[in-house]
This record gives sequence, structure tokens and C-alpha cells, in this order.
Amino acid sequence: MSMGNLTPTRRRLLAGGAAAFGAAPAILSGIARAADKDFKIGIFLPLSGPAALFGPTGRACAELAADEINKAGGILGRQVRLLPTDGGTAPAEAAKSAVRLMLEEKVDMLLGSHDSAVRGAIATTVKGKVPYVYTPVYEGGECSPNIYCLGETPDQQGGPAIGWLATERKARTYYLIGNDYGWPRKTNERARRLIADQGGSVIAEEYLPLGAPNKFEEAVTRIKAARPDVVLITLVGADNVNFNRTFAGFGLDRDIARFAFLLEENTLAGIGADASRELYACMGYFADLDWPTNRQFKAAYAAKFGDKAPALSTIGVDSFTGIKFARALVEKAKGTDARACMAASEGLRFDTVTAPAIMRGRHVDKTMFLARCQGTKFEVIKTFGFVPSGTACGA
Amino acid sequence: MDPILVTQGLNLVFAVAVLAVLALGLAVVFGLLGVLNLAHGEFIMVGAYCAWATTAAGLPYVAAIPLAIAVCGGLGLTVERWLIRPLYRRPFDTLVATWGLSLLLRKAAEAAFGLSFRNVAMPLPGTVRVLGTDYPGYRLLLIAISAAIVGGLMLWYRRSRTGLRIRAMVGNPDLAQAVGIRATRLAAGTFAAGTCLAGLGGVMIAPLVPLQPLMGLDFVLRSFFALVIGGLGSAVGLFAGSAVIGGVDSLVSALLDATWGYFAVLVVAILFLWRRPGGLFAR
Repeated sequence: MSMGNLTPTRRRLLAGGAAAFGAAPAILSGIARAADKDFKIGIFLPLSGPAALFGPTGRACAELAADEINKAGGILGRQVRLLPTDGGTAPAEAAKSAVRLMLEEKVDMLLGSHDSAVRGAIATTVKGKVPYVYTPVYEGGECSPNIYCLGETPDQQGGPAIGWLATERKARTYYLIGNDYGWPRKTNERARRLIADQGGSVIAEEYLPLGAPNKFEEAVTRIKAARPDVVLITLVGADNVNFNRTFAGFGLDRDIARFAFLLEENTLAGIGADASRELYACMGYFADLDWPTNRQFKAAYAAKFGDKAPALSTIGVDSFTGIKFARALVEKAKGTDARACMAASEGLRFDTVTAPAIMRGRHVDKTMFLARCQGTKFEVIKTFGFVPSGTACGA
Repeated sequence: MDPILVTQGLNLVFAVAVLAVLALGLAVVFGLLGVLNLAHGEFIMVGAYCAWATTAAGLPYVAAIPLAIAVCGGLGLTVERWLIRPLYRRPFDTLVATWGLSLLLRKAAEAAFGLSFRNVAMPLPGTVRVLGTDYPGYRLLLIAISAAIVGGLMLWYRRSRTGLRIRAMVGNPDLAQAVGIRATRLAAGTFAAGTCLAGLGGVMIAPLVPLQPLMGLDFVLRSFFALVIGGLGSAVGLFAGSAVIGGVDSLVSALLDATWGYFAVLVVAILFLWRRPGGLFAR
């Protein structure tokens, strides 16, 4: 509670004397509610830091979703108001912001597209008091109460991709390379099992420090010596670009397929057409998807933001889906009570920018698109409907 | 010989050669003017964007060289006149000033081009068969060009009249001025030469690395370590420092992995700063 909210109340308390003490909390919350009819959603986006590039897209997408909801009457009859907050900071900073959003702004809900370290900090701060929708690609396994994960999990990406590579490309041997932190290691842990299920094997697994000025000649030479059928990549951002350009520079793209777990439009633009041969990605969204729902979404996005609209990719569009999901959840639960929301979430069907999805175990069975890179475009080669997340949280 | 061993050997040579050429501009400016240019990485970034602009405009890749020299030289002269010149012989102040400059250049690039990645198509695609292994042709070319640039510049510095004047200016600025050497202009030219070299380095590596406004940070650190180890401001030192940093990094990365490679670089750099702050070839 901020001092700004307390001061008038304290004055009133002094005037009313000791008798008013018992009624104070009721008065206080009454004031807060009456003054604020909007449905407030605190939304954590990478406004700074290495992922800052995705911030503007996420914000634009969330605004578009909020606009559409508000035109249709809002959430439970209340107009949606977004409170964008930096999720690109250190976890402790984000936790402080979460406290401020809850106590000062009294948000009805939180939404976030940021890394898992920040999610962990927000989760332990919020402790399930308000629903928290976590939207980006992530490693799976988050089961804290009242948290709803919408992003692609390793099962949803790796399952279709590794299956396809095994049957269509007769891939047997895999080389795993990633940045050294939680998401790549957990993703690879899951990938190893998926590979074993297909009768394949992992030749080697190697990690490079996150945030260090990495170069990839030595790692690529090791891959050249190991001769795997497929390289599974869990490098992120600039390292993902650097690795793939080096890989193609050494001519390995002629014989070895690459599947990257975090490959979207911006990273592919950095990798470039001369380094993207036999490079695959499996995501819940690609900007070039030729689906009626996506055409409609892109038309609305262009109409609202014009030519200067930030570029679309799965990270960014996840915020649109997140806001739409928030409405579906709260309308079904008829409020934001934790227990009601958790119960309502099970089996909840909601619209996304592509096909409708279903929530199970506070994760999502969703449509996945396996794509092969064609120059700097993604060409969808197979679509998988209602792919389960591999994480099912209990009630 | 084992082709993988040969490839790792060439990787090591490549790491050393590229580091030497990337650190060259920093070495020139620090060694001769006593200015540690923390915006060195950003001049590399500007050079890389020049390469991008050239190829995006459909011009041949080599056209990026004059463009980078013009842009980085112009920037260098402007910065020297309005930022560096008032701060000569105040090393700490130049450190802070060039750090500020690096932020400014990064934000300017962000404002102009956005944070998104760009790519520069490989001007010399494909691999070449050397010593029984396939090695990227462009990387082999860069090894040769780096050796030529570093060697050529050192020779010029030792043999040319301008080199002689610069040495006079560095040795005793007042006396140099007294015998008619225009030290102010010479210093400005030296600084601009340093930024031009950074820009050229940027043009050279643009097709290899992720291109975005923050890329400069990756290069200034290793370049700085190379100078620390080699000894600030000598030609042999620059080469020795690049060999130690680039070599240790590449060797340990090849034998173990990149995490140990980076760790080894940091340990070596710290040991030198601690036990031998003058570097291998102290002046």
C-alpha cells in the first residue's frame, strides 16, 4: 500500500476516532474499487535488456487485443487497461515491480513475456494472489498455483520436429548445442528422451556461456568431426545467428540438418539466406502463416499501427494470445478468484491468432507448425493440431 | 595430418589474425595518443553497417571499404576535435568520454536501424581445400588481409616520413612542435586512422557475425585484453597479445569447450594485469 492511498484514510480515521478502526479495511478497499472500475492487467515485457527488441511488438499486440476486447464490452463489463512494465530487468527488479503493480495499482491480473528467472521471481512474489499468464516459449514444468503457461514447450517443438526428422530424413544421430542456462539444458533433457523414443542417439551435448562474446569456429569443427545427422540448437539471439552463419560458412549445411528451438523472424533475418539451408523450426506462430485467422489479425494490426508497426514473431504475438486468454478465463471463472480461475482453466477453449487451443493442466494443447527456412522466410512443411504440452499441473 | 586437427589449427590462426586487426586501431590510438578509446567496438559496428548498406544498395562488397573509411574517418575527426582534443593527457577523462561516446553511437545506430538483426551475404562463399581439409575461403582471405594490414602499417610507421613525424610527436610533443611538426593535426590524423582501422575491421567481419547495434561490445573486450598482454603501444606487443588471447581462447575452446576458453582468457588477462601490468613488451 502506498502512502498516497493511505493519507486521506488516516485523516478520516483520526476524525472518526477509535470506533472507525474496525471498518478501516472495508473503507479502504471500497475507495480503491470505486475509483477504479477498469480491469487492470500488469504486463511484463522486455522493454530493456538483450530481448528489448521484442518489447514493442509485445506491447502493440497486447494493445490490439485489449482494443478488440474493449470494443466488445471489456472483461466482465469492465474496460481493459494495460500497465506495461519492464520484464527485461534482473529478477529482483521485476519482483519489486510486481509488488508495486499489486499493492499500488491493484491489478486484477498479471501477464508476462520474459525469461524464466524473472517468472520465478514474480511467481514467488505474487504467490497466486492474482492470476498470472505466462506467454512465451519456455522449458515447461511451471506448476505454481494460479499461473497459466501458454507458450511452446520442448515437447510441442521437439516432438513433431524430431518425429518428422526421423521418418522423413532418417535422422539417427544428434548433436546438441546451446547456451548455458536453464531453458537450453531443460529443453535438451526433454529432447534426449524424444530422440531415444525415435530410436536415435545423442553424440554430444555442449554449452556456451550466455552473454559472453562467443565465437563458434571450434564448436563447428567439433560438429564436423562428429558428423551427426542433425544439430539441435538451443542457442539464443546473437549466438544463434553467429553459430548458424559459422556452420554454413564451413559448408556443413550441405550434409547436416539443423533444428533450432528458438528461431523466429528476427533471428532468421540475422542468419540470412546464405546460411539457412536445411534449417528447421517448430513454433506456434510464424508471421507469414497463410491462415485466415492470421490474415485477419495482420490486417487489424496493420490498420492500428500502420507501416511503422513493429515486426511480428511468435514472441510478441504471444501477448495478443495472452490477453485473449485472460478474457476467456476470467469470463468463465466470473472473477479473478484463484480457485475459480484454476478450476475454470481446465478444458478452457480459447481463440489464438491461428487455431483455437485448449488448456489442460494450466498448459495448452496447441497447433504447431514445422517449418523449413527458405532464404529468410519460414515455409511450413507440416501442421500438427492440438499438440500436448507435456506438462500437466494438478488442481 | 588429421583434417580436424588442421581445421582447429587454422581456427587458431584465424582467431589471432582477426583479433590483431580488430585491436590495431585501439593500439594505434592508445599507443600513440595515450587515449583508451572505449568506443572502439562501436566504430567496428559502424564499419559493419557500412558493409550492410553497401550490399543492401546492390553495390559490390569492396565498395564498403571507401564508405567505411569515409564514415569512420569523418566520425573520428569530428570526435577528436570536439571530444578528445580538450582531454589529451587526462587519461581517466578520455576513458569516461569515450565510454559516453560508445553509448551515443550505439543508441544512434539503434535509432537509425532498430535493434533487429541484419545480415551481410558472404562475399566469397564456399570452402577451399587446404592441407587436406575444407576451410571457408573468406576466412582464409581474412587471415591474409589481416597479416597484410598489420604488417603494412608497421612498416609504414617505421619507414615513412609521416611515421617519423608521429614518432617525434609521441617522443616529445613540445620539441616536435618547435621544429615545425604540426602536432595537433598529426594527432587528429592518428586518431582518425585508428577509427578507420576499426571501421575496416568491421567491414571485414560483417559477413561472419551477427549484425546489430550492440555488436561492438563483443570486440572491445578481447581487443583490450590483447593490448594489456602485449604491452600498450608496441607493434610486437600487439601481435604477441593477439597471439596469446586469440590463441589461448581458440586452443582451450578446441580442447575443452567455449566456457573454458572464455575462462582461460579472463584468467590470463587478470594474471597479466596483476603480475605484469606493463605486458610482455612494455615500452
